Amino acid sequence: MSETNQEFEPRIVAFVCNWCTYAGADLAGTSRLKYATNVKIVRFPCTGRIDFMLLLKAFEEGADGIIVSGCHPNDCHYTSGNFHARRRWTVFRGLLDFMGIDVRRIHFTWVSAAEGAKWADIVNETVADIRALGPYDEYKSIASNFEKEAAK
Amino acid sequence: MSKLSEKAAALLSEGTVGLVIGYEQGTHGTRPKFCRKAEDAATLILNDKCLNNIGGYLTKPELIGSGKVAVTATLAVMRTVVQLTAEHQLTDGNVIVLALDGDEVLQMASIDEIKKWLAAHPEDLSDENKALLSKLKALSREERWNFWINEMNKCIKCYACRASCPLCYCNRCIVEVNCPQWIKPWAAPLSNMEWQINRVMHMAGRCVGCGACDRACPVHIPLRLLTISMAGDIKEAFGVASGTGNIDGNVLSSFKPDDKENFIH
Amino acid sequence: MSKIGVFVCHCGENIAATVDCEKVANTAAKFDGVEFATDYKYMCSDPGQNLIKNAIKEHHLDGVVVASCSPRMHEPTFRKACSEAGLNPFMCEVANIREHCSWVHEKGDATTQKAIDIVRGLVEKVSRDHPLESIHVPITKKALVIGGGIAGIQASLDIANAGHKVILIERDPSIGGHMSQLSETFPTLDCSQCILTPRMVEVAQHPNITLYTYAELEKLEGFIGNFKATIRLKAKSIDEDVCTGCGTCTTKCPTKKIPSEFNQGLGNRTAIYVPFPQAVPNKPVIDKDHCLHYQKGVCGLCEKVCPTHAIHFGQDDSFITEDVGAVVLATGFNVLNTDFFPEYGYGKYKDVITGLQFERLASASGPTSGEIRRPSDGKIPQKIVFIACAGSRDPAKGIPYCSKICCMYTAKHAMLYQHKVHDGESTVFYMDIRAAGKNYEEFVRRAIEEDGVNYVRGRVARVYEKDGKLIVKGVDTLLGAKPVEIEADMVVLATAGVANAGAEELAQKLHVSYDPYHFFAEAHPKLRPVETNTAGIYLAGACQAPKDIPDTVAAASGAAVKVAGLFSQPDLVREPIIAKVNRMPPPVFSTCVGCFMCETACPYNAIEREEIKDRRSGKVIKTIAKVNPGLCQGCGTCVSFCRSKSIDMQGFSNEEMFAEVQALLED
Repeated sequence: MSETNQEFEPRIVAFVCNWCTYAGADLAGTSRLKYATNVKIVRFPCTGRIDFMLLLKAFEEGADGIIVSGCHPNDCHYTSGNFHARRRWTVFRGLLDFMGIDVRRIHFTWVSAAEGAKWADIVNETVADIRALGPYDEYKSIASNFEKEAAK
Repeated sequence: MSKLSEKAAALLSEGTVGLVIGYEQGTHGTRPKFCRKAEDAATLILNDKCLNNIGGYLTKPELIGSGKVAVTATLAVMRTVVQLTAEHQLTDGNVIVLALDGDEVLQMASIDEIKKWLAAHPEDLSDENKALLSKLKALSREERWNFWINEMNKCIKCYACRASCPLCYCNRCIVEVNCPQWIKPWAAPLSNMEWQINRVMHMAGRCVGCGACDRACPVHIPLRLLTISMAGDIKEAFGVASGTGNIDGNVLSSFKPDDKENFIH
Repeated sequence: MSKIGVFVCHCGENIAATVDCEKVANTAAKFDGVEFATDYKYMCSDPGQNLIKNAIKEHHLDGVVVASCSPRMHEPTFRKACSEAGLNPFMCEVANIREHCSWVHEKGDATTQKAIDIVRGLVEKVSRDHPLESIHVPITKKALVIGGGIAGIQASLDIANAGHKVILIERDPSIGGHMSQLSETFPTLDCSQCILTPRMVEVAQHPNITLYTYAELEKLEGFIGNFKATIRLKAKSIDEDVCTGCGTCTTKCPTKKIPSEFNQGLGNRTAIYVPFPQAVPNKPVIDKDHCLHYQKGVCGLCEKVCPTHAIHFGQDDSFITEDVGAVVLATGFNVLNTDFFPEYGYGKYKDVITGLQFERLASASGPTSGEIRRPSDGKIPQKIVFIACAGSRDPAKGIPYCSKICCMYTAKHAMLYQHKVHDGESTVFYMDIRAAGKNYEEFVRRAIEEDGVNYVRGRVARVYEKDGKLIVKGVDTLLGAKPVEIEADMVVLATAGVANAGAEELAQKLHVSYDPYHFFAEAHPKLRPVETNTAGIYLAGACQAPKDIPDTVAAASGAAVKVAGLFSQPDLVREPIIAKVNRMPPPVFSTCVGCFMCETACPYNAIEREEIKDRRSGKVIKTIAKVNPGLCQGCGTCVSFCRSKSIDMQGFSNEEMFAEVQALLED
C-alpha cells in the first residue's frame, strides 16, 4: 500500500474567504513560496458564506481532502462571519464524525492576509496528511455506484 | 368525563378556542383527536402512551384556521409550542396548552408559563438511548461508517421523517431545490445520507427531541440518534439546550467570541 | 448555450515561465460554452484590454474569464473593460493563475493542469452568473453629530464648512466637553478655553449647524444615507427664545450648595445654572433634582426675578425627529473617579484628587482662580505626589489598557504646580513614561530637567493620613525596589480614561459594536479607524479609546471627511454583491417561511421583515425576510444558514459556487 500511496496525488479543494486566506494565498504567491499543486482554491466572500453542503459535494465529486480557511477570530472583514462559521463547523464536524465520515480529511484553519508562509505550510501539510490517508475510496464508492449511472 | 375533557369542552363551549387538538384511544395505540364541538372532547386522553407529536398540526393553517387553538400537551409538545413561537410560526397567546399535573388540568396561555413548567420538568435521555449512543460512539470510525451506510441503504426516501417532524414546516424543502440540485432525488446511499445530514443540520438547536422522525421511519433507521448526538455536541460545545425556544437566535445564527473548539489551527 | 471568452495572460514571464499558457487557452477553447479562447502577453495592457473588448463585440460574448493575476489586483480593470465593450461587468470573472499557481509551483504539467482546472471552475461559474446592476441608494445630506466636546465640535464644523447641514446634540447644558474643563494643554501650555471657546461660538453661529444642548438620542432607525433620528430635548424649564442670558436668576437662586459638575465637585453651583461662564448656549437650565420648586413646590424666585418671563416650570421633555444621512459618534470618555482605589484613599481623604480635579484647581476659571490650594483647608500644598497609571495597565483592576493621555497630563500637572508653587516639591510615581508624540518627550524632559519634578519609577502601594499629612508609600524600582515614603500635602491620581456613561446603551441603540471596555469599535483597526461596522456611522475622538486633543481633532476631521465624501455623491452606489430573499408569483410569494432566525446571523441588521398583503383587503398574507440592500455588506452568512435556501447571494450564488466546485474537481 505504501508504495502506491507515495505515487498518489490527492485532490484537494480549499474553501477560503476573500479577505484573509485568499489574500494570504496571494501573499504566498507574491513571496514566491513553493507548495504542492494539489490544492485548488474556491473564493468566497466570507467563511460565513461557505455552505456545509459544498463540502459534501466536493467529496462526492472526488475530493480526497478539503481545506476550510478564513480570518482569525476577531479579524473577520464582516466582524462575525467567521464566528458563525466556527459554530457551524463545530456542529457539522461532530455530526460527520458520528456518521463515520473521515473528518481527518477536512482541515480547518485560520490564515490571515499576512500569513502567506502559513498558507504554504497548511497546503503542504494537508497534502502530506491526505496522501498518508490515501484516496477517499470509501466515500467515492457510494458516490459512484448508483448515483453516476442514474445521472446518465 | 375526565377533568381534561371537561376543561377542553369548557374552552370550546365558551368560545375561547375554536379547536382543541388532543389524543384519543385508537385501535392501535393513541391517535390524534380534533375537537371542534364540546361533545367531541369526551374521549380525550393524555398519558404516557400519547407519543405522537401533535404540535406539528399547529403550523397547518388549513387545519386550524386563524383563531385560537388549544392543544393537550406532553412535554415534547410543549417544547414544540415554545420553539415554534420562537421561530415566529405561532403567536404567543394564540395557543392554549392543556397539561396534566397529577389529576389536575393545567391551562397555560403564555410562553413564559410553558417555559417555566418545562424548566421545572427536565427530561433526560432514556437509558436505552444513552446506551445506544455510547455503543455507537465506542465503535471505530469505519464501523460507524458501515453502520450508517447500511442504515442509509435501507432508506426509501419517503420523507416520513420530514412529514412527522413538527419543526419541518418549510414550504419548500432543500430536497425540492433544483437550482442547484443539492441532493439527488432518488434513493441511494449517498443522497440518502446527504438528506439526513441536511435534515439533522437544520435541526441544530431546534430539535425538541420528540422522536417523531424515528417512529415514523418505515424502515426503522434509528434517526433519533443523529439529532440526539448533535444536541449533545451543541450542549457540550456551547452550553445551549436544543428546542427550548431560545429567542436570542439559533445556535448556528448566534455566537460567542470565546466559543471553544479544538480543530481549527 | 452561453458564449464565453477565455483570455489567458502570460504576465510577461510571470505566468508563462511555469504555465503553458497556450495549452491553457487551447484546452479552455474546448470547454462547453466557450466560444473563444486566446492567450496574450499582457492582458491588463491597453492592447490586451482591447483584445478582450474586440472579442466581446466580435463573438457576442456573454461571459468572460480572464486567467491572470489575483482578482484582488485586476478584477476592477477587467470588469471595466468588459463594461466598456457593452458586457455587464459582473459577467467577468478572474481566474487567479499567477499568485495561486505560476508563482507557487515549479514549471511542469501539474502546474499547467492546475491552471486549466482553475479556468474550468470559473468558466462554469461565469456561465451561471447573472448580469447585476449597481445599487443606488438616495442620501439625505444632513449629518447627526452626537456629543459636543472638541471631537463633536470639530466634526460639526468640518462637515458644515463643506456645505452640509449638521444637527449637533449634547446631553449637558453646554457644549465644550472635557476640553473646556482643562487648564492648560500639553505640550504647548496654551490655555484650553482660549483655543476652544472661539470654536464653540463658531458652532453656535454657523448657519449650517443646528445645536441642541440638554438633548439625547432616543432612537435611530434606518440605514446609511437614510437614518431617522429621534432626539429627546430634555426640559430646560426656560424659554430659550425669550431668555437673554442676563444671569439674574442664577444669582438669586437660593439653592447654592450643589456640587458643580464642571468643577468636578470642587465648587458649587445653583439649581438654575449655567455650567461655566463661557457656556454655549449661555442660557441657564433648571436642575429639577435640586430645585426647590420641583422638589418641595416652594420658591419660584427665578420666575419672579426674570425680566423677560422666560422661566417655564411646566415644560416637559419633547421629542423631535430628524432625517439624516450619516451619524458621527463623538461622545467622549470619562475618568475613573469612583472609590476604585481604596488603597489610595480616594473619597476618604479630601486631598486625594483626580487629574481632572487638578485641572480645575489649576484653571484660572476654576474654584481657586488658578491657585493650587488643597480642597480640605485651602492651604497651598508644599509637597505633592502624582500617581500615574491609577487604574490603567492593571489587568487585576479590569483595565489592562494604557489610557494614553495620563503620562503627558501628569507631566503637565507637575510642571504647572512647579510654576505656581516655586518652593514646592513634586513627585511623580510612574510605571513607564509614554511620551510618543510631537514634542511630547521634550515636554516631559522639561518637567524633569528644568522644573525639577522628581520622577520615581515604581508603584504606590498605599496612601494614608497621619498627623494631617498624606503618607505615600511606594517603591523605587530603579533603586532595587527601595521603599520610598513621602509625607505629602496633596495626592493627584492620574485615573484611567474609561468609556463614557451610557456608551454601551448608545452602541446598542445604534447597532455599532463596542469592545469589552465599552469603547466603540472601529471597522478596521488600521485601515478604517473612523468608521464603524455599521455603514454611515463614524467615530470621532475618545469614545473609541482614550485620545489626546490632537488625535481627537484628527479623528474628528477624518470622520467629517468620510461624511463629506458620502454626501458629495448624488446617491450611494454600491456593488450588488449582496444577499437577496427570493420572490415568486402568488400564491407562494417567496419560499421564505419567516422564521427570522437569520436575523441574528447578520452582522449589519440588514434583515428586515416584509409583510405581503392582499391587494384588496390589505390583510397580511405572509411575513417574510427582506434584505435591506443599503445595509447588506455581502458576507453571505444568512445565505448558508437559511434552511429552505430562500436567501441567495448575488455574485456568489449557490448555483455558481456549486458549479465551480464541481468543475474544479472534474477530470
